[in-house]
Amino acid sequence: MVFLERVGRTFLTFLSSIGSATLFLAKSVLSGVAPPYYWKQIGKQAIQMGFFSLPVVGMTALFTGMAMTLQCYNGFSKFTAENAIPSIVMIAMTRELGPVLTALMVAGRLGASMTAEIGTMKITEQIDALTTLSVNSYKYLVFPRLLIGLLALPFLVFIDDVIGLFGGYLVGVYYLDFNAANYIRNTISAISIWDIASGLIKGAVFGFLICLMGCYQGYLSNRGAEGVGKATTKSVVSSSILILLLDCVLTFVLF
Amino acid sequence: MEYVVEVENLKKSFGRNHVLHGISLKIKRGESYVVIGGSGSGKSVLTKCILGLIKPTSGIVKINGERIAKLSQKEMFKTLLKCGVLYQGGALFDSLNVIDNISFGLVYGYGKSIKEAYKIAIEKLELVDLSEKVAKIFPSELSGGMQKRVALARAIATNPDIIFFDEPTTGLDPITSGIISELIVKCIKEMKMSALSITHDINSLKCISDTVGLLYQGNIIWEGSNQELTTTDNPYVKQFINGSTTGPFTNRAAR
Repeated sequence: MVFLERVGRTFLTFLSSIGSATLFLAKSVLSGVAPPYYWKQIGKQAIQMGFFSLPVVGMTALFTGMAMTLQCYNGFSKFTAENAIPSIVMIAMTRELGPVLTALMVAGRLGASMTAEIGTMKITEQIDALTTLSVNSYKYLVFPRLLIGLLALPFLVFIDDVIGLFGGYLVGVYYLDFNAANYIRNTISAISIWDIASGLIKGAVFGFLICLMGCYQGYLSNRGAEGVGKATTKSVVSSSILILLLDCVLTFVLF
Repeated sequence: MEYVVEVENLKKSFGRNHVLHGISLKIKRGESYVVIGGSGSGKSVLTKCILGLIKPTSGIVKINGERIAKLSQKEMFKTLLKCGVLYQGGALFDSLNVIDNISFGLVYGYGKSIKEAYKIAIEKLELVDLSEKVAKIFPSELSGGMQKRVALARAIATNPDIIFFDEPTTGLDPITSGIISELIVKCIKEMKMSALSITHDINSLKCISDTVGLLYQGNIIWEGSNQELTTTDNPYVKQFINGSTTGPFTNRAAR
């Protein structure tokens, strides 16, 4: 009985979390769509997410593209199928590695900082102060992040794709002695608009999710610094798991 | 008689924890009402219920004659524009400098231009005895006393009808506490505001109060004027004012 009680309680807690996250999302979106719009906040988030994430995303993409090419070479050379490497790297980067790795890096970098910032604002009564200064905190803090999450991640995924392919090119041409012109030709011939678009769609979904979890966990923070720390961990872990879960679902849906 | 704040039979419970047991109080225009009480007696919950930050379990709260439970979100924000709040820790926005903090309500709440808001913010800075030099400094670079002054300037920036002080002198040395108390009196008198303060600080209480209410176990068990505070025979008030370790507060807690 105790075991069943525990299972039941966990399931109810899970359902209640989904319900409260959905309400949080509805409040944030509904508050954000009506004017006035806080352009300064939106611009700030765009720079924070779209611009300052570029180094992390770029490095991840470069090294992944390089490692991917090396791994493919080790396998494909056994079947003298080296010519397929550029197209495999292309497909892997645009469909999977680009969106998933970008999202995981952004979840670690920005999801965590979002939760920590909003959580600290919550425990130091800054969110109450926003309300008593007649500003809707969902509109001011959450909506700009959700909007930019939705728009900036596809942009970062695209950059990730390009840099990843460039990493593959560097290893292929300068280390594995592929012919540069052939490598580029094989890469271009493998370009599929749908592959790129599907990666960007995944990026948009993941970006929205990271910001939703980051803000939601921040709002749930309580009990001082320890509470903010726990909320930050929860935010990153839940975003990362949901990214991988949704990646699987979206792959089923899109292909 | 015109009342700025009216509270009738206000009750608030968190699960089985009954914090407020049916509080009633009225604050006249221009009156400074101070609620005193031990830690955990529900003083902050009372303020938050009045400001609509926490939903009461039952009871009526009116600000400027308007019942806040009946107001839409837009109307509530309009009502809050007439309320200033000085939070215990200041609750200044970390990401904004001093002048942006002070002008926040003017820009986002009243929709004033930055130039106009800055002009008012500088006037308020002078009112709390701070020079224009601190305008571009961030809150984390200020001392505790200066943070309280900036928070006070922000609270009075919109010329509210009523101002709420949540333990305004907590964490400050006696001299800075005295200065802040005097500033509070100056602001209330010069700007003809009403005030609801909660405090533990007896010196501050004597300085800023017209009327005092003692909150104990979720009820206001005594109410009287500033002068009656020292002449009353009420054992609870006597013990609280004298800081005595023996008396009804401690006897009851020990039982």
